[in-house]
Amino acid sequence: MKFLPLVWSGIWRKPGRTVLIFLQVCVAFALFGVLQGLKTGVERLISQTRADVLLVHGSLALFDPLPLSLLEQIKSVPGVKVVAPVELFGATYQSPDQKLGVVAVRPVEGWLSAFSFTIAPEYVEAFRRLRTAAIIRDRLAKKYGWKIGDHIPLLSKTAQKTGSTDWAFDVVGTYDDSDLGGSGDTLLINYDYFDEARLADTGTVKHFKVAIADPAMAATAADEIDRRFANSANETRTESMRELAQSQLQSIGDLNFLIRSIVGAVFVALLFATATMMMQSIRERLPELGVLKTLGFTDAAVFVFILAEALVIFMAAAAGGLGLALTVFPLAAKIVPGLSMPLTVVAAGLACAVFAAIVSAAIPAILAARSNIVAALAGRP
Amino acid sequence: MNFARQFLALLRVNLAGLVERPTSALTILVGVTCAVGALVSMLAMGTGARRQELGNVRADHVILGKTGERPGQSDIPRDEAAAILGLPGISKGSAGEPIVVFESMTFIEGRRRGTGARIYFPVIGVTPNVTDYLPEMRFTEGRMFRPGLHELIVGGSCGRQFAGFNLDDTRLIHGVAWTVVGRFDEGDAQQCVVYGDVDSIMSAFKSNTYTSVAVMLRSASEFGAFRGAVAANPALHLDVLHESDVVEDEFKQLNAILYFAAYFVGSIMALGATLGAVNSLYAIVDSRRRELATVRAIGFGPGPIVVSVLVESVLLAIPGALLGSGLAWILFNGLAASPFGYSIRLAVTPALVGLGILWALGMGLLGGMLPAVRAARIPVTTALRAI
Repeated sequence: MKFLPLVWSGIWRKPGRTVLIFLQVCVAFALFGVLQGLKTGVERLISQTRADVLLVHGSLALFDPLPLSLLEQIKSVPGVKVVAPVELFGATYQSPDQKLGVVAVRPVEGWLSAFSFTIAPEYVEAFRRLRTAAIIRDRLAKKYGWKIGDHIPLLSKTAQKTGSTDWAFDVVGTYDDSDLGGSGDTLLINYDYFDEARLADTGTVKHFKVAIADPAMAATAADEIDRRFANSANETRTESMRELAQSQLQSIGDLNFLIRSIVGAVFVALLFATATMMMQSIRERLPELGVLKTLGFTDAAVFVFILAEALVIFMAAAAGGLGLALTVFPLAAKIVPGLSMPLTVVAAGLACAVFAAIVSAAIPAILAARSNIVAALAGRP
Repeated sequence: MNFARQFLALLRVNLAGLVERPTSALTILVGVTCAVGALVSMLAMGTGARRQELGNVRADHVILGKTGERPGQSDIPRDEAAAILGLPGISKGSAGEPIVVFESMTFIEGRRRGTGARIYFPVIGVTPNVTDYLPEMRFTEGRMFRPGLHELIVGGSCGRQFAGFNLDDTRLIHGVAWTVVGRFDEGDAQQCVVYGDVDSIMSAFKSNTYTSVAVMLRSASEFGAFRGAVAANPALHLDVLHESDVVEDEFKQLNAILYFAAYFVGSIMALGATLGAVNSLYAIVDSRRRELATVRAIGFGPGPIVVSVLVESVLLAIPGALLGSGLAWILFNGLAASPFGYSIRLAVTPALVGLGILWALGMGLLGGMLPAVRAARIPVTTALRAI
């Protein structure tokens, strides 16, 4: 501990140089933090999605309608706990650019276990009781000033049996959605009310949400569902929510090669620059190090001093850079809603900083430790 | 004259001195190489995307969609679409009928070649006069689809990206087998495009409306008149758009993300490389204190000294730019990246290399500025006394 002032004065021997190295390391780790944060953040988002909730949709496309009559057959598949039919359609409120996504669900027993919604129990109860009920995304309440008890008129491309494209629902509550894709302006309505009222496509759904009792059985249940409808007019494709998230975010995974190349390039450039600087600095300081050795400091002590200087600069700069990355990350994370920077990235960054400090200071430190007192005092290596 | 002579003499001394300090020079080179390499390869993605998007866009193409809806996602009833045929300014096809293509787009599932990953790609139902609408479309294999049958024709890039697009391959759509009867070359476009007969596609997907209508005008200058005619017809509630605007709009978000990412990463790395260059040049200048003081003592002006250091810095940065662009070209040019579900062939163009060199010039000049000023300001007497 008592040698700390010595290390400290070594660091500030040439303040300009130290500040420049500090900034360079700082910049490199800020970039590392953002890029690695994107990559790890996406991987974490995927692992957080549920593997025990399946989505059954038409085999051709995600939005190819399926008949509601498949429900009973899906329900009889072993391991299936809840099957909830879902219909989706678009609507607008007041003006054509105020778009809303409407999710029609049937509130069957335990339906919430097949969704990623958070809804207060009293709202769920009110929703079940009132046919024209709607539960709105909490942010919609703010956006349009909707309150519980409001009667909200919507316009849709989907026509009612009367031919009218006007729809109206009664707000009975608000909900929050933790799902990856759950960032839109959406509201939930009763499937049965909607299906009876609409003119065309009666008795069809966009997909079924299926909750599985035991997550370990999810894959077999999914295969079994698809097998039941194979070679029928309504072939299905069953995927877990995790698989869906994976294929949605696959695209970002495709960028991994690019991200790795860039992070690699950043570190190569950084290590090269810092190692050169350290070397230069040690050469200039050889006479001073010679004085230290004359005073009785061992070779090992000199070695540790040099390494400690590098470690202090690198750790401080990496902490600064990663801190910067944490503050600018929300900007870069706009691409994927709900993305946040995992703290493991910070830990990995600090570990990298230790490694980089040792690599760039090792050779100069060995050089300093090995130098002969007489030669060092004369400024010769 | 005197300025130039002094400058050249100094530059020669500086460059000769670099041989003694190869690591400092290499630091600048490596830093600039990495920064330019990253910028160029990221921008290559944006350039590749643009090249593909706008590759087949023609000025005489217009796209119609329902008012306020995106073309490709709107619903145009058949009778409304039929009324377009009678509008003025439309180019006539080989049989003398107006070149108006009714389109119905849906997405179906495909498998990526190699990985087997599932992906959804567009199938566009079109009227058979699409060959008049796309004169650059050439069949490399097979033939055109026949109206009313379950036949598909596919673009060349589909076969490269996805499985199941060889001639005579069949795929099931709602229990009915559709056969690939032709493969065509689509010019510059790299997106996978699959066409089938519009009526067959619409009946397969139980749809009764077109998702967009494409029109070829007699010439690009007819656009205003055509738009006026659509607006004047009370039976038509359609938006008339240039094809280029539709394509730009479709890719706006992707391009914004790609360019933001490229300049974000490029700028940060350039900042790092510039800092490294400043440090190295300071070290180089410091090691030359004695020489610099000597030349000042024998009458060299501060101007040539400043310029010589700046030029030295730029000369060190330029090879870095070339090396970086070269690496980007070797590693990434022609590589198909698929960020955000698009398939993009990266393109390292001369313009990008030029931009990389400009970027390097900036780094060299900024990095050289402070060290150059310090070099010119070295106090003659103290520096000489230090010998």
